Amino acid sequence: MSLRQPLLRLARYLGASGPPRRLWWSPFLGRIFPVGSWRGQSSRSPAHWNQVVSEAEKIVGYPTSFMSLRCLLSDELSNIAMQVRKLVGTQHPLLTTARGLVQDSRNNLQLRGLVVLLISKAAGPSSVNASCQNYDMVSGIYSCQRSLAEITELIHTALLVHRGIVNLNELQSSDGPLKDMHFGNKIAILSGDFLLANACNGLALLQNTKVVELLASALMDLVQGVYYENSTSAKEDYITSDIGISTWKEQTFLSHGALLAKSCQAAMELAKHDAEVQDMAFQYGKHMAMSHKINSDLQPFIKEKTSDSTTFNLNSAPVVLHQEFLGRDVWIKQIREAQEKGRLDYGKLRETIKAGKGVTSAIDLCRYHGNKALEALESFPPSEARSALENIVFAVTRFS
Amino acid sequence: MASCWWRWRRGCSWRPAARSPGPGSPDRVGPCGPRPAATACAQISYFNLVKSLTSAFPNMYSISRLHHTTLAVDCCSKTQSGEKYTDPFKLGRRDLKGLYEDIRKELLISATELKEMSQYYFDGKGKAFRPIIVVLMARACNTHYNNSRDVQASQRAIALIAEMIHTASLVHDDVIDDASSRRGKHTVNKIWGEKKAVLAGDLILSAASIALARIGNTTVISILTQVIEDLVRGEFLQLGSKENENERFAHYLEKTFKKTASLIANSCKAVSVLGCPDPVVHEIAYQYGKNVGIAFQLIDDVLDFTSCSDQMGKPTSADLKLGLATGPVLFACRQFPEMNAMIMRRFSLPGDVDKARQYVLQSDGVQQTTYLAQRYCHEAIREISKLRPSPERDALIQLSETVLTRDK
Repeated sequence: MSLRQPLLRLARYLGASGPPRRLWWSPFLGRIFPVGSWRGQSSRSPAHWNQVVSEAEKIVGYPTSFMSLRCLLSDELSNIAMQVRKLVGTQHPLLTTARGLVQDSRNNLQLRGLVVLLISKAAGPSSVNASCQNYDMVSGIYSCQRSLAEITELIHTALLVHRGIVNLNELQSSDGPLKDMHFGNKIAILSGDFLLANACNGLALLQNTKVVELLASALMDLVQGVYYENSTSAKEDYITSDIGISTWKEQTFLSHGALLAKSCQAAMELAKHDAEVQDMAFQYGKHMAMSHKINSDLQPFIKEKTSDSTTFNLNSAPVVLHQEFLGRDVWIKQIREAQEKGRLDYGKLRETIKAGKGVTSAIDLCRYHGNKALEALESFPPSEARSALENIVFAVTRFS
Repeated sequence: MASCWWRWRRGCSWRPAARSPGPGSPDRVGPCGPRPAATACAQISYFNLVKSLTSAFPNMYSISRLHHTTLAVDCCSKTQSGEKYTDPFKLGRRDLKGLYEDIRKELLISATELKEMSQYYFDGKGKAFRPIIVVLMARACNTHYNNSRDVQASQRAIALIAEMIHTASLVHDDVIDDASSRRGKHTVNKIWGEKKAVLAGDLILSAASIALARIGNTTVISILTQVIEDLVRGEFLQLGSKENENERFAHYLEKTFKKTASLIANSCKAVSVLGCPDPVVHEIAYQYGKNVGIAFQLIDDVLDFTSCSDQMGKPTSADLKLGLATGPVLFACRQFPEMNAMIMRRFSLPGDVDKARQYVLQSDGVQQTTYLAQRYCHEAIREISKLRPSPERDALIQLSETVLTRDK
């Protein structure tokens, strides 16, 4: 079942019209959801990326249903749709999250779910488990693995929604009335909690305590990752906290890698694959996610056409590496130099960073994780699903 | 007044014989002590009388409490267990030593501030109402099943998880309601801001889910997952309001069940599942928890009108200020129909909150709600009395009484 119908209805509530537009690269969004990059195109040639994804979708039979129909048709979700309408005209981030869910649903939305399905298919049924119900398989994937893929998307989306809560004492007058912003928070919390409750429900139905534990710990990681992301993000003076690349890696694993890694592992557990196969699936999920994240961090620095106004995250991989090469003091000096009347000239700072070694070493790091992901795949038998997983890695590590 | 007629209890056995002895309603599970038939008969007639009087629920206005008093005296005449009067909280707390330390251990993460936020309410100053019910229920069920009173590690874990799920929902509720104080201290959102508070709530929920999964029982996971779903649905129910008076009352009770009673009911059920294989016992545990939970919330709603802020640790008339019409308001509205308009506009006009408060205090809304709570407690006692006697079972009966008489 497709998510598109009910979500398009939601889009109309939100006042969206016309064909879906790609919003995720707009600078405004980049600021609010610096990590929403899963949704964006990942390589310099979008055609290539889209091709990889759409071929992969064919392999798994039908795309991830993302959220079950039961969840979508519920009173609660239509309630949310009605309520979100009231926020039109304010700057509450929930609006943008909701629009993003709708307007970018044509592709990439379900990449996490897709990877879980592909790795399920690549691993196939377990040889030890003869009692497994094979009739339950569609296109080589167990129905419980399909549920898991959905749950993965639910958890991710719930945190995406909870990321968009605003602090009421930091509001600008341009945001809209306090009452409306508070209302936006209320709806954001409720809808996020609603998605989480659905995820918990789905997990309970899988009847596998190890899978529940894996996904619950993935949620814990994700929450911590989002927390770090918020707390290290640039303040008024554009000085970010001093984190080295090893801390950056740890935090990025929490915010971007853990959910995919643990979901891939859980998919193996559901098919009763042994600990070794589970670990390989975990490694693929982890390294693929890391390399994907670094790739999207690199985009503002390697795209041919970047306008000077394009902002970038000061905690992205190339910037953190740049700072590591230069040392903290020189970096702070460079930020000061790029500031004009309290505003940061991103164009100027970008050129400074591009002149250093941060960008090339970020590319190296991206390829390192890509190679690790490919190594993990070697333990799976060759298949079209495995090729699709490889192609995803090739797509995110291609820079020329 | 509630306290005087509830005093009868104290280790005596409440007979559920009064229940219509239809099929499928075993009045006591398992073997039970001998009981004089005559007393039972007297009870039946009395109970039926009360029942017929109150059958028009919730349309009961002026039912004399005399019946209950008589009933109580009747029942007190025979004391079954020789156990001395025990403070249910004291009895429960034995198993809960180190409860909050253990919860804090579940929340040991490297992000210092996030850890501090999520551990903020586990300071050992809460009532631990839910964990106490859970461990008492565990011992009561264990005794009932195999006369072993010890609490299993997995059952104690349920007590932790129940408190964690409860706290996670409090943290989110406080952001939703923009509350600034709870339990006499500032709320997480007031200290750290809304953005971080929401994450703290999510973190507690994830830690609770991990602890739940580690128990390793899929049935128990399903039971407690239901709670998470009910909590969210209850919050959604709170967003809407009904125009029709009867619907409004049903809506209120449903919300009360989902937001408060489901957690108690399902965690009681979870420990019973872990302690005893008999589904009849699971249902007793669930029903006890559900009825006590609803009574607890009804009294909470009453206290919002009758208590002063110091006692509650949070401001009073809080519900009205949030636009919520709770039990006392719904009852008062029958006497003062002019309140209807205020309910529908969620007390949003200036002066609405004060006016509504005055109406409630002038009406018998508080008494009616208290009486309704008594009925739920009654039902809870009737259910738990089906278990074999044990100090913990009696403590649970005692505890439902303190739910009614608490002032904070």
